[in-house]
Amino acid sequence: MKISSLSLNNLVRKPGRTLALALLTAFLALAVFGGSVIVLSLRGGLQSLEARLGADIILVPSEAQSKVSFQNMFLQGTTGAFYMDASVAEKALEVEGVEKAAPQTFLASLKADCCSIKIQVIGIDPARDFTVQPWISRSLSRELGDMDVAVGCKVEAGMGEIIRIYEQRCKVVARLEPTGTGLDTAVYCNMNTMNALLRAAEEKGISHRIESGDSVISAVYIKVRDGSDIDAVNSRLNGRLRKVTAVRTRSMITGVSDSLAGISRTVTVLIAAVWVLAFIILLLAFALIIRERTREFAVLRLVGASRGMLARMVLAESALCGLLGGLAGTGLAAALLFPFAQLIESALKMPYLMPDAGVVVPLAAGTVLLSAAAAALSSVLAAVRLSRVDPGTALREGN
Amino acid sequence: MKKSVIPALVILVLSQVIVFGETTFLSPCVHEDGSFGPCHWAGRALLGLGCVLGALALLSLCGKRARFGVFLSGLPVCALGILIPGTLIDLCHMSTMRCRMVMQPAMILLFSAALLCALIGAILSAKE
Amino acid sequence: MSLLELRNVSKVYGELKALDKVSLHVDQGEWVAIMGPSGSGKSTMMNIIGCMDKPTSGEVLLDGVDISKESSKRLTDIRRDKIGLIFQQFHMVSYLTAVENVMVSQYYHSMPDEAEALEALGRVGLRERARHLPSQLSGGEQQRVCVARALINHPELILADEPTGNLDEANENIVLDLFAQLHKEGTTLIVVTHDPEVADAAQRTIVLEHGKVAREVINENFGK
Repeated sequence: MKISSLSLNNLVRKPGRTLALALLTAFLALAVFGGSVIVLSLRGGLQSLEARLGADIILVPSEAQSKVSFQNMFLQGTTGAFYMDASVAEKALEVEGVEKAAPQTFLASLKADCCSIKIQVIGIDPARDFTVQPWISRSLSRELGDMDVAVGCKVEAGMGEIIRIYEQRCKVVARLEPTGTGLDTAVYCNMNTMNALLRAAEEKGISHRIESGDSVISAVYIKVRDGSDIDAVNSRLNGRLRKVTAVRTRSMITGVSDSLAGISRTVTVLIAAVWVLAFIILLLAFALIIRERTREFAVLRLVGASRGMLARMVLAESALCGLLGGLAGTGLAAALLFPFAQLIESALKMPYLMPDAGVVVPLAAGTVLLSAAAAALSSVLAAVRLSRVDPGTALREGN
Repeated sequence: MKKSVIPALVILVLSQVIVFGETTFLSPCVHEDGSFGPCHWAGRALLGLGCVLGALALLSLCGKRARFGVFLSGLPVCALGILIPGTLIDLCHMSTMRCRMVMQPAMILLFSAALLCALIGAILSAKE
Repeated sequence: MSLLELRNVSKVYGELKALDKVSLHVDQGEWVAIMGPSGSGKSTMMNIIGCMDKPTSGEVLLDGVDISKESSKRLTDIRRDKIGLIFQQFHMVSYLTAVENVMVSQYYHSMPDEAEALEALGRVGLRERARHLPSQLSGGEQQRVCVARALINHPELILADEPTGNLDEANENIVLDLFAQLHKEGTTLIVVTHDPEVADAAQRTIVLEHGKVAREVINENFGK
């Protein structure tokens, strides 16, 4: 028999009280772990978005410059298709300050046999692309071949599987790492494959091409030369290229970044409020417990327990309760956040990339320990008061 | 009241959430053209399993003697409920679709909770 | 040889004198009853002898050591090492079984020994009820567990405050028989009571009135 087993005995044989205290600390843990994971996921999504955008400037046809819808392609994966002549990419390279210009072509399928919703198909030039290609290279050691596709992580198609887009058979050769952005629902191919899909779409009566010719692209990703002023290059591009709009990627990210800051602040305030409230309730709970256990502690003092021993016993009990509640709260938060991550992302309509195990596990462990510590701390007053119980008087009061 | 009644009651509640949920807030995808995807049939199978689970829970409440066996029967039912969405019966091929986003995780969680309760119930009723 | 000696012990609470220059002694191996009506100072004396309180003035010598000047911590140690306490209300720890309640006393004294605790319960006739919680025991059984708990560490002095106050006649007799057994084995017993029948079981009765020793009565029929 040790102090720990005395504490454990009390917790097991007074299940109502143990459950109530554990529930309070579970609530604390749920708030901390849940709120932290959500904020970290939003931050991860934003960082991922910045990395994926890659370019300093994106050229799109002026018709596509409903900035919101273009932005939503990246943030929420809404499909889009707009076109301009492929020569825009070459013309952009001629502008002073432009180091790289990589074209991409977009196509929205009506329905792929994998799902009854549209999917976004993005064609790239593997030789010139510097935004998507590095990401594809992490999953595929060679260039995308004709009729090969790399799929975003949210497309549930296995390696080697054939998916049909506009009745064209495309083979999945790579599954890409998650980005937490709308790009995860896209399918990537090279320009030859894209042209084949565009022709197939036309045969289905869906006209995508512009009148001026056969060779089309949807966007050009621009990398500005080191030392050049991005705004100046942006202005030059807008000035020189007709029917084309140059958009600074920074402006897309700023909006998301501001929203994230707002959400982060709100979550932090909520977590703090939950903690203050729960801590007060725990203090009150322990104060009530004192009255109930005065007699018990008087008995223990009588049989020889010192004040220090009793104080340690109370702290051990509360820490155990806190540990129990911490595990339950963290477990519940994990059970809701991880399986329903996609639902949360859809609801937030923001880039959302969950942290990996290297972050989550220490966060969970820290939350559990914090809950145990909070419970122990809230019982300190009670522990001190209980240990000062005068055994004779306390026991007399019952006679 | 015997302790083993509590997990039986919890399983009963979970089964009702599964049955009611499958037809409402946890339902699979609704296709625009009215056709059924594979997720529809997965949902139907889960609905059926939910009904079976509810029946088992009611049976276990009827009497102490059969309770242990009934809890044991619930274990494979729950295991099946966990495996059906996505493993035994395929779902739509996009993570953003309703079946994968809502139905699959919810049903796996509900059946996992029921499995845990069945296990606890079996242990408690064995001791009684 | 004197185990306990009170020399002019007084305890004052504000205007109230609970004990007024009380002097008495209890020899080793003696069975003494302390009687008196409500307010006579019995409880105060019990607290002082049991190292749960300190007198306002006077000396209390327990086994030759003056405990009236000791610190609170030291009193706890003395109480743990030398005194076994039994109360009217039993005072068991509600979430521990009978044997665990006995072992708790061992835990704070030296080391818990389940076998020894079971043996102590056997002495009071409760070995087969060792795994029962207090709520599953009758009043008499709980009091017997408290007796086992009080004597598990082989104290020099057993101090009992109205030990049969909440018991029926049958259980009262069982407890008094236990006391008689302990007395035969040489344990010193001080029993605080208002029941003349319980007092008659002792060798000597000290009667308190208004905080003073009114008289001492030797039990001529003791042991017969």
